[in-house]
Amino acid sequence: MIYSRTIIAFIFCLLLLGGCSSNPRSIELDSKLNAPSISDPFEAVNRVTFSFNSIFDKTIVRPTALVYRGVVPGFVRNRITYSLDNLSMPVTAVNNLLQGELSKAGIASSRFIINSTIGILGIFDPASSFGLVSENEDFGQTLAVWGVPSGPYIVLPFLGPSSPRDFTGLLSTSLLDPMYQIGSDSNQNAFRSYRMGVGVVDFRSQNIEIFDDLQNNSLDYYAAVRSFYNQSRESQSSNNLETGSDLEDDIFDEFEDLELDDSYVGPDIEIEYSSE
Amino acid sequence: MRKYVKKFISTIIPLFVLIQISNASNHSPEEDFIKTFSDNAISILSNTEISEQEKGEEFTSIVMSSIDLNLISKFVLSKAWKSATADQKERYLKVFKTYFINSYANKLNQYSGEKVKIIGSEVKGKYTIVDSIIVREGTDTIQINLKWRILNRDGNIKIIDLNIEGISLIIAQREEFQSFLANNDSDLNKLILKLENINN
Repeated sequence: MIYSRTIIAFIFCLLLLGGCSSNPRSIELDSKLNAPSISDPFEAVNRVTFSFNSIFDKTIVRPTALVYRGVVPGFVRNRITYSLDNLSMPVTAVNNLLQGELSKAGIASSRFIINSTIGILGIFDPASSFGLVSENEDFGQTLAVWGVPSGPYIVLPFLGPSSPRDFTGLLSTSLLDPMYQIGSDSNQNAFRSYRMGVGVVDFRSQNIEIFDDLQNNSLDYYAAVRSFYNQSRESQSSNNLETGSDLEDDIFDEFEDLELDDSYVGPDIEIEYSSE
Repeated sequence: MRKYVKKFISTIIPLFVLIQISNASNHSPEEDFIKTFSDNAISILSNTEISEQEKGEEFTSIVMSSIDLNLISKFVLSKAWKSATADQKERYLKVFKTYFINSYANKLNQYSGEKVKIIGSEVKGKYTIVDSIIVREGTDTIQINLKWRILNRDGNIKIIDLNIEGISLIIAQREEFQSFLANNDSDLNKLILKLENINN
């Protein structure tokens, strides 16, 4: 009890912290041409945490994901991806409700019921063939719908890229996810371990080459990951708000200026376009 | 009665033709372009009769003929492009081309064996966004969303950006360059040098 009260107090503080920082969206729009475009006032600290996480990834997570992918057949890995997706449906339904999306909440609940039964504990996905398709929703996205600004970019030890809003969402999920309310304490712990551990390995095993590529070809790996994280969260929130990602379009409008500027194009650089 | 049938047929047939026409024009030239591009790219990647090196060369050449690298090169530098000297611009364009081929042209490698399915397209300002999905091998519902940003200049169609699951590769590249410059006294020479090191 005391434990959860502490966490709630902590969440409250984080919400305040998030509220204090100005909306990063407006900053990005104002400084389209000015670097850096992302609100990252704790960059120095973040970079240290990021290096630590990279070492943790290199020594533990990546090797585990490699072994997992090498040993476990593709068929089984796909079943695990499905089962993790199924376990996230109750919390998705709760968040759909909190966002006022009643029909989406219905779809997520139906998916959970159908896939847990006909889909044998979620390892198959018959619900999708019935046309029941749902995007995962977390409390971070709900807070975004409620208008809570994301706050500055932060890198959490072990957990990686986040923001005060998303970290608050993460803590709320661990408190309020219906999947954690079922069964005895030991059951809950088993659930938690399965989802956390297997979830990380499942995600990492799907992205081994992408991250390797990114790391090898980056001149600033930290900035690349930061951009990936922010863009991904931005697009998820704008899906929820149904505004479309107009930020991206604004940035690309800048091409217009650059197109007019044909001041120099190197002689070797002209690319030969094959005529079709 | 016959009159009605005749009338019915005479209305139905033009309607049918109209539907056919609108179906045919449903595929915008940009969608066809991406369809052809991704089919060609995947057939190169899954071709087992040529060596890995030939595969890479063919793949690079089809990517290079389908994108506007000049525009991309300038865009990812953003403000720094405008203040660059002629000499810096020349060195940068050369080194970025190699860097781009090494890093981006190989990105699609991971998706070989899977098919790109075109969903549709919409015009956004001067761009057309072509929406597509890749279905993960061995599943029918685990998908990756790909959005292609296309510039169509009087029929000369070029890819400007690829957005994977909400992440624009070009914007990520741009933010990375900006961050590097911000941490290196905004010195473009340092960026060029760093790219040269990565290339070698």
